[in-house]
Amino acid sequence: MRPKENTEEFVKVRKPDVKTSREMDKRTLDDSLAAMEQTMRAKSADQKPSTARIITLRRMIKLTAAAAVIIVSISFYVAHQGPGEQNDIIIAEALDSPAKIMTMKSLKIAFRRGGIEGIENQCEKALKILGPEPASLSLADLYNGSQS
Amino acid sequence: MAVSLIGQVDLMVEDNILVWKFNRGSKDALRRIYEKFKDDLLGLAITLLRDRSLAEDVVHDVFVSFAGAVGSFHLSGTLKGYLSTCVANSARDRNRLRSPRNAEPGIIQAAGSDSDGPIENAIGIEESGKLQDLLARLPYEQREIIVLHLHHEMRFREIAKALGISINTVQSRYRYGLDKLRSIVNSVVTK
Repeated sequence: MRPKENTEEFVKVRKPDVKTSREMDKRTLDDSLAAMEQTMRAKSADQKPSTARIITLRRMIKLTAAAAVIIVSISFYVAHQGPGEQNDIIIAEALDSPAKIMTMKSLKIAFRRGGIEGIENQCEKALKILGPEPASLSLADLYNGSQS
Repeated sequence: MAVSLIGQVDLMVEDNILVWKFNRGSKDALRRIYEKFKDDLLGLAITLLRDRSLAEDVVHDVFVSFAGAVGSFHLSGTLKGYLSTCVANSARDRNRLRSPRNAEPGIIQAAGSDSDGPIENAIGIEESGKLQDLLARLPYEQREIIVLHLHHEMRFREIAKALGISINTVQSRYRYGLDKLRSIVNSVVTK
């Protein structure tokens, strides 16, 4: 055997057989477990949102809720109140001119107010005024109130 | 060969499972890791420092530091290799801090001969405790690499990476250390 390998073998087989003491085990394990718990506690604290973040979040939630309420209110108002008055005015104007009764705008308003029935009523009104075949009214005139 | 390879793979798998559990806050996993490596690590620290109470402090500090890394610990090699490296690094720091007067008690200046005589003659007179006396006569850097390589089965590449030195330095320290150890043993046998 070569001297180098000889020495290596000599060292290898004489690995010290050391045992830890009970006191050392207790001290090391206690301190290690305490360090482990401390790290875990610190990490979980980092994950919790800070007070400032909670306040900001609350403000954002409040603002979002307020914006949502405003949007819903405006939508509700536009759908039921505002345009309704406008519609009456428009329809009243439209009634003045028979051609305008059949314009897309008036039909649209009629649909909004009464759905298909509203359109039918509007059409009936128009037919009553214009008659079944108005000779003086073209299709273009029917759908474009401004030209009549 | 194949059996030892399978055994090594099993150990690595076990280590990885332990580390996985440890990272999820398992105290049992930490206890298991400590129980598994405590004696080897204490042996390494004692061989490097030649002082049991200092060695116990080193192992204690290494485990406390390891436990503090819960949740973010990443194992790249073997767990034993990692912990051995931590112990070696901590022992080196302690060794630097020790005053030269208190350092390595019982060290006798090596009066070795350069002959390559048979080591077997020394086997009868040297036990593991005596080996530590012999190793203590080596410079700290050489002793560290010999012990990590031969007792803790770390490769030269691993040791170089762990200690932050080149693999050539590791190999030359190992070679010089072995030569010196052989000289020391031969001189003891001659006496």
